[in-house]
Amino acid sequence: MFALRGIAVSLTFFVLVYCLLSALVAVAWRSLKWLHAAERSLAALLFALRVLPLAASVVVTFAFVVPSFQLLEPRSIDIDEGIGAVPLALGICALLLIACGCFRVIAAQTKTSRVVARWLEGANPLVVDAAAQTEAQTVTFRSRRGIPPLTLVGVRRPRVLVSESAVALLSDNELRIALQHELAHMQSRDNLKKLVFRFCPCPGMAKLESAWSQAAELAADDAAVSNLDDAVDLAAALVKLSRLLPVAAAPVCTVGFVTGSISVRVARLLAWDEAHTAQTMRIRPWYAIPPVLVTLLCVFVTYGPALTLTHEVTEWLVR
Amino acid sequence: MTKAFSIFGSSSRPQLGPFEQQVLQKLWSHGSATVRELLADGKIRQAYTTVMTTVDRLYKKGLLDRVAEGRAFRYTPRHTPEELQRVTALESIRQLLGSGDASSLPLSYLVEALSTHDAQLLDELQLLVEQKRRELRSREHNAGGNKAREPR
Repeated sequence: MFALRGIAVSLTFFVLVYCLLSALVAVAWRSLKWLHAAERSLAALLFALRVLPLAASVVVTFAFVVPSFQLLEPRSIDIDEGIGAVPLALGICALLLIACGCFRVIAAQTKTSRVVARWLEGANPLVVDAAAQTEAQTVTFRSRRGIPPLTLVGVRRPRVLVSESAVALLSDNELRIALQHELAHMQSRDNLKKLVFRFCPCPGMAKLESAWSQAAELAADDAAVSNLDDAVDLAAALVKLSRLLPVAAAPVCTVGFVTGSISVRVARLLAWDEAHTAQTMRIRPWYAIPPVLVTLLCVFVTYGPALTLTHEVTEWLVR
Repeated sequence: MTKAFSIFGSSSRPQLGPFEQQVLQKLWSHGSATVRELLADGKIRQAYTTVMTTVDRLYKKGLLDRVAEGRAFRYTPRHTPEELQRVTALESIRQLLGSGDASSLPLSYLVEALSTHDAQLLDELQLLVEQKRRELRSREHNAGGNKAREPR
């Protein structure tokens, strides 16, 4: 009974923190649009915000709730005290949430694998011109099947698939730049990030995910382009491939080239300016180190009282 | 909200007269106003009674709320412009889908209209790309010409 109560209390805290932070994030993420940062940084921030509820609730559960229960909950009363109605109900909610996340991930992976296997039937490695013989050559396939014109598929072994029609429509340089765009998605592990989103089900996050998707597209555009000629070629490729008839909806673990607002992307590419791009603020990962260190210090100093407080809340929940 | 759509009939455009639209715009910009306040800045050049009749008509169409303030009324728009636009569009689509015997026909018109819109947008974007390419080529050409004229 002691162990069961501990699990129920931990799951209760997990679901409470998750829901509270999800609600906060769903409201607060819009303030990021005032931030004039590089698209790559913006995409990273949006991703961090999207997964914050899950990450924070896991940390709170394992760093505070489990130790406080283990250390401060007297074991001798396990015969008298039950689990409690609130922890039982919220614990079941948490289990359902986790199960729902797992199911969505497995379903997305299974569907992607099935669709990609079909797309890859009869596909051949793409031989691009000498200028483009980069990393792309090892991962790019040309497919005859009805696939999206240009798309990055898979999480563990990501590959870029190019349709016959895309190869026929684009000039060598347009194709090279478009492939660079998809490779930028691969380097950012955008398919994996989409899968992580599936694991954190939460209503009200669709707009945040859509904003992340747009920022990821713009970041991939920025990564692919190094001068104005490239930018114009990428814009031309975007317009040409947008004219192709859409195929059936692509599965989750894919990133299509023709995604997001085409007019915004084209306008941005045509106004490409190297100096401006270089000046845009980049938020580096190490910017997070000082706040993380301060938080760790605070936790270290106040860990004892925090455990006591957590246990008091636990008692209140079980009562 | 349903009452507001009695004014839209079967068309996707609200059946509001130009002056009604002007008054509604004015109220959206003010937030809320009495008839006297609407006339105060002089942009509406109509008689007091005309404006009063118009806001009363908008109130009866369900587009405005009103509360008594002294001997007059203070009018407030019931919906934001975005809300009104969104629900107008939804209502229009609903009417369109429910209009024909074959329910798939209106949907196909909608897809056709959207495709035409997309094609026009892509044509415009294509033009912009070509224009930029021409600009780049002429810039390169000029730079090449200047280089050739430079004394050795």
